[in-house]
Amino acid sequence: MTQEDLMIKKDRMRYTKDSLSANLILLAIVLDALYFVAVYQTDVGSYYYNWVIGASIIYNLLFLLSAFLASEGVKNRKTGFTGMLIFIGVMQIVRIFYLPAKAHSTAVVVNGQEVLAMGDGKYIFAIVCLAVSAACCIVAAVTSYNNNKTLADYMRSLENQSA
Amino acid sequence: MAELSLQHLEKVYDNNVQAVFDFNLDVKDGELIVLVGPSGCGKSTTLRMVAGLEDITRGKMLLNGKDVTDAPAKDRDIAMVFQNYALYGHMTIYENMAFSLTLRKEDPNVIHKKVLAAAEVLGLTEQLNKKPAQLSGGQRQRVAMGRSIVRNPQLFLFDEPLSNLDAKLRSAARREILLLHKRLNATMLYVTHDQTEALTLADRIVCMSMGHVQQIGTPLELYDSPANLFVASFIGLPPMNFLDVKVEADKLVAKHFTLPVTGAEKKTLAPYVGKEIVLGFRPENTSVGNDFEMKVLNNENLGMNTLVHGHIGREGQGERITCKLNGWCDYKADDVVSISITKKHFFDKETTNAIRMEV
Repeated sequence: MTQEDLMIKKDRMRYTKDSLSANLILLAIVLDALYFVAVYQTDVGSYYYNWVIGASIIYNLLFLLSAFLASEGVKNRKTGFTGMLIFIGVMQIVRIFYLPAKAHSTAVVVNGQEVLAMGDGKYIFAIVCLAVSAACCIVAAVTSYNNNKTLADYMRSLENQSA
Repeated sequence: MAELSLQHLEKVYDNNVQAVFDFNLDVKDGELIVLVGPSGCGKSTTLRMVAGLEDITRGKMLLNGKDVTDAPAKDRDIAMVFQNYALYGHMTIYENMAFSLTLRKEDPNVIHKKVLAAAEVLGLTEQLNKKPAQLSGGQRQRVAMGRSIVRNPQLFLFDEPLSNLDAKLRSAARREILLLHKRLNATMLYVTHDQTEALTLADRIVCMSMGHVQQIGTPLELYDSPANLFVASFIGLPPMNFLDVKVEADKLVAKHFTLPVTGAEKKTLAPYVGKEIVLGFRPENTSVGNDFEMKVLNNENLGMNTLVHGHIGREGQGERITCKLNGWCDYKADDVVSISITKKHFFDKETTNAIRMEV
């Protein structure tokens, strides 16, 4: 890429949206949805019927809302959403060690047979969904921050030139 | 840019309604042609056939010598600006202008350069991050043009692009289109029902009525030498006055007055002696004089001149005419004013064609 191409790429950022970051967050939302659909489908008696699942549902709703807001924010190159994205990304990692990990290590009795509350397949699926979702949020935050910083520097250089 | 040739173009719809009859036109490179006529005369249909949005029933269309009669719209390399602008409300101006190139998967850096260049030409650089709803009608119209410019098409088509603007904006936008045409030296086909637009913009005007071409010529030719009664009545504001007159050897006999026939007119009208023809004269080709008397109905003072509406002969029986007299006139209703005609047009009453003066 020539120096001119780099300059045009920077200049383009003045008029285009940060689609990459926004789409990464939308992907995180989709993966989170896949995760909770998988978890709530589990038929292991009354194992999930306690306050943990209630808290999980509320957290899911909060995640969906904040991730969507962040997606719109980074799309319009707002830097303020970076911290929020890092936070919800870390929280997705933390969640792996809470509900899926616990369910995977707990045995329940279903139809007289003792089984794991969350089988290996579903456990791996849940981990992958949450981990990739977390990665998407964090990468989106970093990309958005870098892009916004590049744009801010470029705008400053333009202002200096015109001054 | 492009040369366009339309040969014997005809459009017949499925319900057997024929919208365009035997349309022939050769557009030179860099020419701005205006198709003008009343609603339903076939001008937009012709434009849509050129764009490829309507099938051509009969005839041939050549673009730079290449037959594109049956080519789909996307392969014609023609850009069209619509009356309602057709901008995407959820996209910014930049995205709207870049949209067609993005669809073609052009390099984003190239698209950026083209959009910025078009925005510069159209004075839209400051508006690129706004949405269409945040712009005025004139600016939206420029965005629609910008979207065409970035494509660098062979031919620009405009379908009544100024109809949604108020009079002041329309005048400004007209000047912009003219400047743009000069700057790009682009071949343009422009449809309007507004004869002022046609006269001010066109290199040549195609005047249409009921699907037929009535006259093709420069604005001055259409204004000064209309081919028939339709063109004479359509071009010019206020419209031309028409009176039935009988041709005699050395005079024209109207219902309420007679006019002498001068030397050149005598030769032209010789075949019509004893017959009735139509005498036409533009309001601006009248002055206070002694050809006939007009009873004033009302005045419209325009500052530099006055439109005087009146009738010849008794009210209810005489012909109503309009004269554009120099200066500020304060005629009252029922005042009698003597009028002279400074330039006459003659039309065959049967064919409605102009009777050309022999020079």
